[in-house]
Amino acid sequence: MKSSADDAKRQARLFQLKRYGTGLAFMLPWIVGFCLFVAIPIGWSIFMSFNQVKVVPGGFKYDWQGFRNFRDAFLKDNVFPIELITYFQEMLLMVPIIVIFALLIALMLNQRFPGRFLYRALFFLPVIFATGQVLSELFVQGAGDIPFLDQYNLEPLVTQYVGGEFAKTVMGVLGRVVLILWYSGVQILIFIAGFQTISPTIYEAVRIDGASPWDSFWKITLPACVPFISLNVLYTIIDLFTFPLNPVLKHIKDNMFKVETGYGYSSALAWIYFGFVFVLIALVLWLFDRSMKTRRVRS
Amino acid sequence: MNTALWFRKVGGRLRDLLWSRRAQQAKMIVLGRSLSDGLLAKLILYVLLSIVAYLYLQPLLYMISTALKNVSDLLDPTVKWIPRQVTWDNLSKALKGLQYPDALRNTAVLSISCSLVQVLVCAMTGYALARLAVPFKGLLTALVILTFLIPPQIVIIPLYVIFSKLGLLNTPFVFLIPALFGQGLKAGLFILIFRQFFRAQPASLEEAAKLDGASVVRLFFGIMLPLARSACLVVFLFSFIWYWNMYYEPSMFLAKSFTPLSIRLDGLDDVLNPSLLGNTKIVKNPITEGTKMAAAFLIILPPIIVFMFLQRWFVSGIERTGIVE
Repeated sequence: MKSSADDAKRQARLFQLKRYGTGLAFMLPWIVGFCLFVAIPIGWSIFMSFNQVKVVPGGFKYDWQGFRNFRDAFLKDNVFPIELITYFQEMLLMVPIIVIFALLIALMLNQRFPGRFLYRALFFLPVIFATGQVLSELFVQGAGDIPFLDQYNLEPLVTQYVGGEFAKTVMGVLGRVVLILWYSGVQILIFIAGFQTISPTIYEAVRIDGASPWDSFWKITLPACVPFISLNVLYTIIDLFTFPLNPVLKHIKDNMFKVETGYGYSSALAWIYFGFVFVLIALVLWLFDRSMKTRRVRS
Repeated sequence: MNTALWFRKVGGRLRDLLWSRRAQQAKMIVLGRSLSDGLLAKLILYVLLSIVAYLYLQPLLYMISTALKNVSDLLDPTVKWIPRQVTWDNLSKALKGLQYPDALRNTAVLSISCSLVQVLVCAMTGYALARLAVPFKGLLTALVILTFLIPPQIVIIPLYVIFSKLGLLNTPFVFLIPALFGQGLKAGLFILIFRQFFRAQPASLEEAAKLDGASVVRLFFGIMLPLARSACLVVFLFSFIWYWNMYYEPSMFLAKSFTPLSIRLDGLDDVLNPSLLGNTKIVKNPITEGTKMAAAFLIILPPIIVFMFLQRWFVSGIERTGIVE
């Protein structure tokens, strides 16, 4: 009796193992790759951020510093904190611009009209161009200006309403607005795909109930799009995070090859930067999660 | 008195005209039953989309027009879009400066092979996360998302050391091997796309195949992967474009040999005028500007051609994949 129960247990375990086996076999390449190319580098980089790293023939020489690198980033470095704050200001402006623009364009492209596929192709083209080098080349040449900025002399107006330091950020963003909009190709696609998940019968129903298109946008399209908006906000943040012309990343890269700071200090900078963005992402996730929950409760 | 009467008469006529059947039909055509199917709405739609399309295309047009200008046209502020004299000089200089055939081959080999490998590995990983029994599945999924979030700048130096220890630097394997192990460019995103796709498939399919005695491997390669054609195409194209355009990683790993196009563009200045070596990077230099734009155009030309051919399937594929659910 006992042995048969044991037998059954062993068999169950064997069965479980076999089930796990196939799953693990499918995952194996990824797991190996993760350990080798993600986990080890991350651990190493954290270790380096607490050290002064010197390159000596045949390897690195580590010099334990504790939290000094992190302290220096804010207290001694007179470039990093300013650039970090400026870039975050720019980001806070750019993310809403990109997401709202993508939503509007996707709404328009979702209408049925002749020649739609041509326009759709056109709006995806930026994904192809938005390469680091080609993009920064275009930035340097000033190809991203919008003509009306100079024509209507917007700068004093912006300075008057927004005030001093922040106005510079606003003007900087406005000056490159076309190239920033180039970053919305993927977002437009996500929105278009998202619209397909809303069933057309709902629109029919509200139209019979006498809702105008204006109402049906606010009451149906927008609420149904909340998950896609949050997805797009996250994607945009991550995308801008590695923006090729990002001054923070440039500063990190510069410090990497400086003799007095080196790899240790630049890894510390990179982790601070990542920490800030991670907090931002967590905040966005939390906000959207909460808004989804309240909506569910209300309905 | 008389004029008031006249006004009333005209007003009545106008009202009749407005409410007549014809007028209603005309109104229907112009304004439409709902917002989107009237002529007026269509007109506004076209105008708005065309304006934005122009803004989108402007840098591309700028690229082409600058590439066709000679130096005197470039220096002349009165010449804006159309060069006085079309010159092919920039294009031939760019072809030579980029070592185009050679670099094109490198880039194409790299992006096509890596993308193919990536599609397969990411599909397998995504399938395992969606359907198979894997211990610590939640944790593994979180780690997949983490790989997508970690910026390459953080891990670039340790990776450099690892790759140099493995002897992979300056060979295409420096990108192929991570792709083989599911750590290619933005692999986390692709794994999540596949996971989403496979989760949306009906479970009855697998059960039927299992009852017929198909093994998991056979089930995956025989049924699930062919089902995921549209997802595969989307992932392949995205991956292809991102590998084609990547700049930061190859600037570290492929600086000496097997250099792809994007790195050659960066070094173009030094090739064109070696006397200015060093501090020529972020300066607007009117003499090399045309050549640089020609080079930029040459770089984005192949992906544009690929995209033009696959565009139709691509957009509909994204809609069908349900990537975003």
